[in-house]
Amino acid sequence: MADPFDIFVLVKQVPDQGSKAGLNPDGTIDRAKAKRMLNPFDRYALQAALHTKKTYGGRVTAISMGPPPAVEVLMEALEHGVDRGVLLSDRRLAASDTLATAYALCKTVQWVGRFDIIFCGLQTTDGDTAQVGPQLAERLGLPQITYCQDFKIDDHRVHAERIIEGGYQKLDSELPVLVTVANSYHPLEYKSFRGAWRVQQLLRNEVEQKKYIQTVDLDVIGADPDRCGLKGSPTIVAATEKVGEIGGNCTMHEGHTASVLVEELLGCSNLKEFVKA
Amino acid sequence: MTEEVKRIATPKGEVLVVAEQILGELQPVTLELLGAGRYLADKLGSQLTCVVMGYNLADMPQRLVASGADVVYVADHPELYTYRTLTYRRVLVDLLESLAVPPHICLLGSTTTGRDLAPRIAAHFETGLTADCTELDVGPYEHKSKVDPSKVGLYEECLYAIRPSFGESLKARILGPWKNPQMATTRPGQMTPLKPDPGRQGKIVPIPVNLKPEDYRLVVAETLREAGKGLKLQEADVIVSGGYGLGSADGFQLMYELAACFSNSAVGASRKVVDLGWVPYEHQVGQTGKTVRPKVYIACGISGAIQHRVGMSKSGLIIAINKDPEAPIFKFAHQGIVGDLYQIVPEMIRQLGKVKSEKEVGTVVSTH
Ligand SMILES: Cc1cc2nc3c(=O)[nH]c(=O)nc-3n(C[C@H](O)[C@H](O)[C@H](O)COP(=O)(O)OP(=O)(O)OC[C@H]3O[C@@H](n4cnc5c(N)ncnc54)[C@H](O)[C@@H]3O)c2cc1C
Repeated sequence: MADPFDIFVLVKQVPDQGSKAGLNPDGTIDRAKAKRMLNPFDRYALQAALHTKKTYGGRVTAISMGPPPAVEVLMEALEHGVDRGVLLSDRRLAASDTLATAYALCKTVQWVGRFDIIFCGLQTTDGDTAQVGPQLAERLGLPQITYCQDFKIDDHRVHAERIIEGGYQKLDSELPVLVTVANSYHPLEYKSFRGAWRVQQLLRNEVEQKKYIQTVDLDVIGADPDRCGLKGSPTIVAATEKVGEIGGNCTMHEGHTASVLVEELLGCSNLKEFVKA
Repeated sequence: MTEEVKRIATPKGEVLVVAEQILGELQPVTLELLGAGRYLADKLGSQLTCVVMGYNLADMPQRLVASGADVVYVADHPELYTYRTLTYRRVLVDLLESLAVPPHICLLGSTTTGRDLAPRIAAHFETGLTADCTELDVGPYEHKSKVDPSKVGLYEECLYAIRPSFGESLKARILGPWKNPQMATTRPGQMTPLKPDPGRQGKIVPIPVNLKPEDYRLVVAETLREAGKGLKLQEADVIVSGGYGLGSADGFQLMYELAACFSNSAVGASRKVVDLGWVPYEHQVGQTGKTVRPKVYIACGISGAIQHRVGMSKSGLIIAINKDPEAPIFKFAHQGIVGDLYQIVPEMIRQLGKVKSEKEVGTVVSTH
């Protein structure tokens, strides 16, 4: 029998945009005050990792990078059935762009050790770049399957379906491989109440928690601080500007019955021209 | 005493667009990138180049010249027939390494292909990459932060990669002038292509394809595209879009009914309702969805967040229906109705239905 799979899944904590907490008057987000959540896209990656374990056997390690509260998303992953978590947390990582993030994650993955497959979410809801997965694959020298919506593994190869514009590709890769999971993949299953409760009890004890979730910094994983954070990031946000109020001359219709408002609209625009004959 | 600002000028390379074709079909985003690239190259006073990879490319290189490229690098090889991360990556890395001066700027489409390939190239060359830009420009930038003293100075011609910032209502200008190529992706529909000029002259340069054994770790068994299938959001004349104001997934029924009043129409959506699962992702309009420019865009119960706006603000006629008179969408719509969409939209359907029967009568009469 082949060795059991070593499955890694990368997860990130993001601000919860659904809640009003931490929303500044100008619309920007105050990350310190905002409510936090597991990046919704990562739920599909988590499902893919747990499915792989269930179907083919093995062990799942969840890896995250972020400030100390990010440990919450690792706990959540454990409640869902992940075996252990590793959090890279270091002040020197602040303001890392995607390239610096991919460097730090690459060092973390290498420090954690051997793996057969790495699952990532397609993108995050705060950065929205979809760049970190492929950049990590490049740094690790791996093949990658992005936009993966289905897969199976046999004979140490992954057979996957990858979404493209107006269709999909069927592809096939050697292990190890990095996979970013599309949100057309199966949604994350509900955690079993008893299992989740047991994990919660266990993690409440700090000594126990440390056995399951390791927190490491740049020195532990042997990363070069100059390649992280602001210093290691080739891009910076140089300026933000308010969006100009283009147009600004909207003809407003209000304060009448619906039928009058619609008559006004049809009178003021060429909408009628587009009506199907 | 004022310190002299250190001026930093990097050797001015070309502006390179990475073309995209699927099964031999040139993707429109490439022509749009050539439009944007032409502007950048002219402003920089450098060349606009384009690389196309595929098999049996026929007149595709010529079409790229007609759409603005000064030089087209062509990798025409059976192994490049369908896009594969590792083979395309190899050809592109080899091309960039073979150039005497790295490109100043390198642009790709923000498509499933571009988003797969661009980050690998950026990571390989340790250079900056900005996703989903809504505007591109070049201009000076003075870096004053002393966190890294080696970076301080005045950079004369940086790529301004502009995209809506996280959170709402702000645009961020993202720069990475320290290393070339400065890379960016843009969504299909975001930039404007040039009018193709078949008489334009350009150079077509075949480039070598030297694949390595490790490039075959990933193979594509099949690429399936269902022609004609799927939502033609970007080709519709009229888009009726629904947002969170619909209250539930059922509300989309009303959107379809309104859309049915128009010829060549489609239904769009905001991201909030897509995230809620009310409609599939293919309907999403905005920064992380589709960029559309229909003749008419009718936004129902959509607040008009910047990320939505960048996907539809170039529409011909924007009609907004929202019960909140302060909703940001009224700042850029052309016609606004303040009211409950559940009263307004059914009334629109009724009145447009009358227009329709008038038109029908009209056609009958005209046949006599
Ligand atoms: C990185 C990033 C990328 C994003 N990408 C996109 C994107 O591509 N596309 C996108 O759309 N968004 C995107 N967003 C989300 C965007 O910021 C907004 O959250 C989203 O567009 C809001 O959707 P909405 O207008 O439907 O909902 P809301 O903002 O909640 O607005 C609902 C509106 O409906 C009105 N309303 C309520 N009831 C009624 C009624 N009965 N009749 C009439 N009006 C009513 C309300 O007054 C309100 O204005 C992105 C966000 C981020 C951070």
